[in-house]
Amino acid sequence: MNSLLLSGPESLLPYLLVSACLFAAGILACTTRRNAVGYLMGIELMLNAAALDFVAYGRFRGLEAAGHGQVFSLFVIVLAAAEAAVALALVYSVYRTFRDVDLDRTTTLGSKR
Amino acid sequence: MNLELFLFWPLCALTVVGALSTALARNLVYAALALGVTLAGVSGLYFFLQAEFLAAVQLTVYVGGILVLILFGVMFSRDILGQSQRPSKRVLGLGILSSLVALVAMVRTALAIPAAAGLSGERSAPSAWIGNFSPNTSSHLGDLLATTYLVPFLTIAVLLTVVLVGALVLVRKEGE
Repeated sequence: MNSLLLSGPESLLPYLLVSACLFAAGILACTTRRNAVGYLMGIELMLNAAALDFVAYGRFRGLEAAGHGQVFSLFVIVLAAAEAAVALALVYSVYRTFRDVDLDRTTTLGSKR
Repeated sequence: MNLELFLFWPLCALTVVGALSTALARNLVYAALALGVTLAGVSGLYFFLQAEFLAAVQLTVYVGGILVLILFGVMFSRDILGQSQRPSKRVLGLGILSSLVALVAMVRTALAIPAAAGLSGERSAPSAWIGNFSPNTSSHLGDLLATTYLVPFLTIAVLLTVVLVGALVLVRKEGE
Protein backbone atom coordinates (compact mmCIF):
# COMPACT_ATOMS: atom_id res chain seq x y z
CA MET A 1 0.00 0.00 0.00
CA ASN A 2 2.78 2.36 0.97
CA SER A 3 4.70 1.63 -2.21
CA LEU A 4 1.56 2.37 -4.19
CA LEU A 5 1.16 5.73 -2.47
CA LEU A 6 4.76 6.60 -3.22
CA SER A 7 4.84 5.38 -6.82
CA GLY A 8 1.71 7.45 -7.53
CA PRO A 9 1.45 8.41 -11.19
CA GLU A 10 4.03 5.79 -12.16
CA SER A 11 1.83 2.79 -11.42
CA LEU A 12 -1.19 1.61 -13.35
CA LEU A 13 -3.46 0.84 -10.41
CA PRO A 14 -4.54 4.42 -9.47
CA TYR A 15 -5.74 5.10 -13.00
CA LEU A 16 -7.72 1.86 -13.07
CA LEU A 17 -9.30 2.63 -9.68
CA VAL A 18 -10.29 6.15 -10.72
CA SER A 19 -11.71 4.75 -13.94
CA ALA A 20 -13.69 2.12 -12.00
CA CYS A 21 -15.13 4.83 -9.72
CA LEU A 22 -16.06 6.94 -12.75
CA PHE A 23 -17.82 4.00 -14.37
CA ALA A 24 -19.70 3.12 -11.17
CA ALA A 25 -20.80 6.74 -10.74
CA GLY A 26 -21.96 6.72 -14.37
CA ILE A 27 -24.10 3.63 -13.78
CA LEU A 28 -25.49 5.22 -10.62
CA ALA A 29 -26.42 8.38 -12.54
CA CYS A 30 -28.01 6.38 -15.37
CA THR A 31 -30.12 4.26 -13.03
CA THR A 32 -31.30 6.95 -10.62
CA ARG A 33 -31.72 10.09 -12.73
CA ARG A 34 -35.22 10.70 -13.96
CA ASN A 35 -34.16 13.62 -16.08
CA ALA A 36 -32.96 12.92 -19.64
CA VAL A 37 -30.03 15.31 -19.28
CA GLY A 38 -28.94 13.71 -15.99
CA TYR A 39 -28.98 10.36 -17.78
CA LEU A 40 -26.76 11.85 -20.50
CA MET A 41 -24.25 12.97 -17.84
CA GLY A 42 -24.02 9.36 -16.63
CA ILE A 43 -23.24 8.18 -20.15
CA GLU A 44 -20.51 10.80 -20.48
CA LEU A 45 -18.97 9.57 -17.21
CA MET A 46 -18.89 5.97 -18.44
CA LEU A 47 -17.35 6.98 -21.79
CA ASN A 48 -14.67 8.92 -19.92
CA ALA A 49 -13.90 5.91 -17.74
CA ALA A 50 -13.38 3.76 -20.84
CA ALA A 51 -11.19 6.38 -22.54
CA LEU A 52 -9.05 6.75 -19.43
CA ASP A 53 -8.53 2.98 -19.32
CA PHE A 54 -7.43 2.91 -22.97
CA VAL A 55 -4.84 5.64 -22.41
CA ALA A 56 -3.59 4.16 -19.11
CA TYR A 57 -3.12 0.62 -20.47
CA GLY A 58 -1.43 1.97 -23.58
CA ARG A 59 0.91 4.15 -21.56
CA PHE A 60 2.24 1.19 -19.63
CA ARG A 61 2.95 -0.79 -22.79
CA GLY A 62 5.40 1.57 -24.44
CA LEU A 63 5.32 4.27 -27.09
CA GLU A 64 3.73 2.17 -29.84
CA ALA A 65 0.83 0.98 -27.70
CA ALA A 66 0.43 4.43 -26.14
CA GLY A 67 -0.30 5.82 -29.61
CA HIS A 68 -2.89 3.13 -30.34
CA GLY A 69 -4.59 3.66 -26.98
CA GLN A 70 -4.73 7.40 -27.51
CA VAL A 71 -6.24 7.03 -30.99
CA PHE A 72 -9.00 4.89 -29.48
CA SER A 73 -9.63 7.51 -26.80
CA LEU A 74 -9.70 10.21 -29.44
CA PHE A 75 -12.42 8.30 -31.29
CA VAL A 76 -14.31 7.85 -28.02
CA ILE A 77 -14.21 11.61 -27.42
CA VAL A 78 -15.40 12.41 -30.95
CA LEU A 79 -18.23 9.87 -30.69
CA ALA A 80 -19.21 11.31 -27.30
CA ALA A 81 -19.40 14.78 -28.84
CA ALA A 82 -21.57 13.48 -31.69
CA GLU A 83 -23.77 11.59 -29.26
CA ALA A 84 -24.18 14.65 -27.04
CA ALA A 85 -25.23 16.78 -30.02
CA VAL A 86 -27.86 14.27 -31.18
CA ALA A 87 -29.07 13.65 -27.62
CA LEU A 88 -29.52 17.36 -26.97
CA ALA A 89 -31.42 17.73 -30.24
CA LEU A 90 -33.67 14.86 -29.10
CA VAL A 91 -34.10 16.46 -25.66
CA TYR A 92 -35.17 19.69 -27.34
CA SER A 93 -37.57 17.81 -29.57
CA VAL A 94 -39.03 15.96 -26.56
CA TYR A 95 -39.30 19.23 -24.67
CA ARG A 96 -41.31 20.77 -27.49
CA THR A 97 -43.76 17.87 -27.42
CA PHE A 98 -44.10 17.28 -23.68
CA ARG A 99 -42.96 20.60 -22.16
CA ASP A 100 -40.72 18.49 -19.90
CA VAL A 101 -37.78 16.09 -20.17
CA ASP A 102 -38.71 13.82 -17.24
CA LEU A 103 -38.18 10.27 -18.52
CA ASP A 104 -41.08 8.97 -16.42
CA ARG A 105 -43.54 11.29 -18.10
CA THR A 106 -42.50 10.98 -21.72
CA THR A 107 -44.39 7.78 -22.29
CA THR A 108 -45.95 8.11 -25.74
CA LEU A 109 -44.36 7.91 -29.16
CA GLY A 110 -46.44 10.57 -30.82
CA SER A 111 -47.62 13.87 -29.49
CA LYS A 112 -49.18 13.98 -26.03
CA ARG A 113 -52.90 13.46 -25.99
CA MET B 1 7.71 13.21 -1.40
CA ASN B 2 7.90 15.14 -4.61
CA LEU B 3 5.58 17.67 -6.17
CA GLU B 4 4.08 15.16 -8.60
CA LEU B 5 2.58 13.11 -5.79
CA PHE B 6 1.13 16.21 -4.14
CA LEU B 7 -0.65 16.95 -7.41
CA PHE B 8 -1.55 13.40 -8.37
CA TRP B 9 -3.52 12.13 -5.38
CA PRO B 10 -5.65 15.29 -4.91
CA LEU B 11 -6.38 15.13 -8.65
CA CYS B 12 -7.57 11.53 -8.35
CA ALA B 13 -9.70 12.42 -5.32
CA LEU B 14 -11.17 15.45 -7.11
CA THR B 15 -12.08 13.34 -10.14
CA VAL B 16 -13.82 10.68 -8.06
CA VAL B 17 -15.66 13.18 -5.84
CA GLY B 18 -16.80 15.09 -8.92
CA ALA B 19 -18.12 11.88 -10.49
CA LEU B 20 -20.01 10.93 -7.33
CA SER B 21 -21.62 14.33 -6.97
CA THR B 22 -22.55 14.24 -10.67
CA ALA B 23 -24.53 11.11 -9.88
CA LEU B 24 -25.97 12.21 -6.55
CA ALA B 25 -26.37 16.01 -6.53
CA ARG B 26 -30.02 16.93 -6.30
CA ASN B 27 -29.61 20.19 -8.18
CA LEU B 28 -29.01 19.40 -11.86
CA VAL B 29 -26.91 22.53 -12.41
CA TYR B 30 -24.60 21.43 -9.60
CA ALA B 31 -24.44 17.98 -11.19
CA ALA B 32 -23.41 19.54 -14.52
CA LEU B 33 -20.72 21.65 -12.83
CA ALA B 34 -19.45 18.60 -10.93
CA LEU B 35 -19.28 16.81 -14.29
CA GLY B 36 -17.06 19.68 -15.47
CA VAL B 37 -14.74 19.11 -12.50
CA THR B 38 -14.55 15.40 -13.33
CA LEU B 39 -13.82 16.04 -17.01
CA ALA B 40 -11.07 18.51 -16.11
CA GLY B 41 -9.68 15.97 -13.63
CA VAL B 42 -9.55 13.26 -16.30
CA SER B 43 -7.74 15.77 -18.51
CA GLY B 44 -5.19 16.22 -15.71
CA LEU B 45 -4.74 12.44 -15.51
CA TYR B 46 -4.08 12.45 -19.27
CA PHE B 47 -1.26 14.92 -18.59
CA PHE B 48 0.17 12.51 -16.02
CA LEU B 49 -0.02 9.75 -18.66
CA GLN B 50 1.86 12.04 -21.06
CA ALA B 51 -1.03 12.21 -23.49
CA GLU B 52 -0.77 15.97 -23.91
CA PHE B 53 -2.73 16.17 -27.14
CA LEU B 54 -5.56 14.11 -25.69
CA ALA B 55 -5.61 16.27 -22.56
CA ALA B 56 -5.99 19.39 -24.68
CA VAL B 57 -8.74 17.75 -26.76
CA GLN B 58 -10.49 16.65 -23.57
CA LEU B 59 -10.47 20.22 -22.26
CA THR B 60 -11.67 21.85 -25.46
CA VAL B 61 -14.23 19.27 -26.59
CA TYR B 62 -15.61 18.09 -23.24
CA VAL B 63 -15.27 21.05 -20.91
CA GLY B 64 -15.63 23.66 -23.63
CA GLY B 65 -18.25 21.97 -25.81
CA ILE B 66 -20.21 19.08 -24.34
CA LEU B 67 -20.52 20.66 -20.90
CA VAL B 68 -22.00 23.82 -22.39
CA LEU B 69 -24.43 21.70 -24.43
CA ILE B 70 -25.44 19.84 -21.26
CA LEU B 71 -25.94 23.09 -19.36
CA PHE B 72 -28.24 24.21 -22.19
CA GLY B 73 -30.08 20.91 -21.86
CA VAL B 74 -30.48 21.37 -18.10
CA MET B 75 -32.44 24.53 -18.78
CA PHE B 76 -35.17 22.42 -20.45
CA SER B 77 -36.09 20.56 -17.30
CA ARG B 78 -39.12 21.81 -15.51
CA ASP B 79 -37.94 21.82 -11.95
CA ILE B 80 -34.19 21.58 -11.66
CA LEU B 81 -33.81 21.23 -7.91
CA GLY B 82 -37.23 20.14 -6.80
CA GLN B 83 -38.90 16.96 -5.67
CA SER B 84 -38.92 15.37 -9.13
CA GLN B 85 -35.11 15.11 -9.18
CA ARG B 86 -35.11 12.84 -6.14
CA PRO B 87 -35.24 9.15 -7.06
CA SER B 88 -37.45 6.83 -5.05
CA LYS B 89 -35.83 4.72 -2.32
CA ARG B 90 -36.21 1.55 -4.38
CA VAL B 91 -34.62 3.00 -7.50
CA LEU B 92 -31.80 4.52 -5.46
CA GLY B 93 -31.15 1.16 -3.77
CA LEU B 94 -31.10 -0.68 -7.09
CA GLY B 95 -28.81 1.96 -8.59
CA ILE B 96 -26.34 1.78 -5.72
CA LEU B 97 -26.42 -2.03 -5.87
CA SER B 98 -25.73 -2.18 -9.61
CA SER B 99 -22.96 0.41 -9.47
CA LEU B 100 -21.35 -1.41 -6.52
CA VAL B 101 -21.40 -4.66 -8.49
CA ALA B 102 -19.67 -2.93 -11.40
CA LEU B 103 -17.18 -1.25 -9.05
CA VAL B 104 -16.26 -4.51 -7.31
CA ALA B 105 -15.85 -6.31 -10.64
CA MET B 106 -13.60 -3.58 -12.06
CA VAL B 107 -11.50 -3.22 -8.90
CA ARG B 108 -11.00 -6.99 -8.72
CA THR B 109 -9.87 -6.97 -12.37
CA ALA B 110 -7.51 -4.07 -11.71
CA LEU B 111 -5.97 -5.82 -8.71
CA ALA B 112 -5.61 -9.10 -10.62
CA ILE B 113 -3.62 -7.63 -13.51
CA PRO B 114 -0.07 -7.85 -12.07
CA ALA B 115 -0.74 -11.46 -11.05
CA ALA B 116 -2.13 -12.38 -14.46
CA ALA B 117 0.91 -10.91 -16.20
CA GLY B 118 3.13 -13.13 -14.10
CA LEU B 119 4.70 -10.15 -12.39
CA SER B 120 4.77 -9.32 -8.73
CA GLY B 121 4.16 -6.06 -6.93
CA GLU B 122 1.94 -3.14 -7.71
CA ARG B 123 4.57 -1.15 -9.51
CA SER B 124 4.97 -3.64 -12.31
CA ALA B 125 1.53 -3.79 -13.88
CA PRO B 126 1.49 -4.97 -17.57
CA SER B 127 4.97 -3.62 -17.86
CA ALA B 128 6.79 -1.17 -15.65
CA TRP B 129 6.66 2.58 -16.05
CA ILE B 130 8.69 3.54 -19.08
CA GLY B 131 10.49 6.82 -18.47
CA ASN B 132 9.52 9.94 -20.33
CA PHE B 133 8.60 9.51 -23.95
CA SER B 134 11.13 11.66 -25.78
CA PRO B 135 9.45 13.19 -28.53
CA ASN B 136 5.94 13.46 -27.16
CA THR B 137 3.24 11.18 -28.49
CA SER B 138 1.39 13.84 -30.49
CA SER B 139 3.42 13.35 -33.68
CA HIS B 140 3.10 9.58 -33.29
CA LEU B 141 -0.65 10.07 -32.95
CA GLY B 142 -0.73 12.06 -36.19
CA ASP B 143 1.20 9.33 -38.00
CA LEU B 144 -1.23 6.67 -36.77
CA LEU B 145 -4.29 8.70 -37.80
CA ALA B 146 -2.88 9.19 -41.30
CA THR B 147 -1.82 5.57 -41.83
CA THR B 148 -3.22 2.73 -39.70
CA TYR B 149 -6.41 4.49 -38.68
CA LEU B 150 -7.05 6.38 -41.93
CA VAL B 151 -10.32 4.58 -42.73
CA PRO B 152 -11.83 5.02 -39.22
CA PHE B 153 -10.68 8.64 -39.30
CA LEU B 154 -12.50 9.33 -42.58
CA THR B 155 -15.53 7.34 -41.41
CA ILE B 156 -15.78 9.45 -38.28
CA ALA B 157 -15.55 12.60 -40.41
CA VAL B 158 -18.55 11.38 -42.42
CA LEU B 159 -20.33 10.48 -39.18
CA LEU B 160 -19.83 14.00 -37.82
CA THR B 161 -21.35 15.46 -40.98
CA VAL B 162 -24.32 13.12 -40.66
CA VAL B 163 -24.71 14.09 -36.99
CA LEU B 164 -24.62 17.79 -37.86
CA VAL B 165 -27.37 17.40 -40.46
CA GLY B 166 -29.33 14.99 -38.26
CA ALA B 167 -29.32 17.31 -35.27
CA LEU B 168 -30.50 20.18 -37.47
CA VAL B 169 -33.33 18.03 -38.86
CA LEU B 170 -34.35 16.96 -35.36
CA VAL B 171 -34.68 20.49 -33.97
CA ARG B 172 -36.37 21.86 -37.09
CA LYS B 173 -40.00 22.82 -36.60
CA GLU B 174 -42.38 20.64 -38.59
CA GLY B 175 -43.64 22.16 -41.80
CA GLU B 176 -40.73 24.54 -42.23
